[in-house]
Amino acid sequence: MAKVEINTPAPDFELADMKGETVRLSDFRGRASVLLVFNRGFA
Amino acid sequence: MAQLRQDHDEFKKRKAVVLVIGPEDAQAFKEYWRENRLPFIGLPDPTHGVLKLYGQEINLFKLGRMPAQVIIDPRGAARFVHYGHSMADIPENAELLSLLDSINRV
Repeated sequence: MAKVEINTPAPDFELADMKGETVRLSDFRGRASVLLVFNRGFA
Repeated sequence: MAQLRQDHDEFKKRKAVVLVIGPEDAQAFKEYWRENRLPFIGLPDPTHGVLKLYGQEINLFKLGRMPAQVIIDPRGAARFVHYGHSMADIPENAELLSLLDSINRV
């Protein structure tokens, strides 16, 4: 399975948020750091 | 998630945006966000496209997804990658915040 390596470009993606608005990782480039949290599920 | 919510201001101070990605659908996200009053951006990924892209581990024995965290700096580079090996294997916020401090220093 592919894994992300440190100090390499993070793969860009786009997903719709809960309101249906598109969010791209690259939206934040040059503006903010991003903490991506892969949740294990709402338990 | 509760811990992350508690420290959300600290992440904001460091100009970090928190994106939470999970396999549930938008409806489940909405309900969970409302119940827990979460301030982060929630991104439903019911087709698991991004979860797979980033290689979130699935523990076949426990039939669950392992937590994972990635910090991406403003240049788009991954600076911190943590793949959990158990449900409780989540880095401390302090560790994430200090890394953000070091990103912001340059």
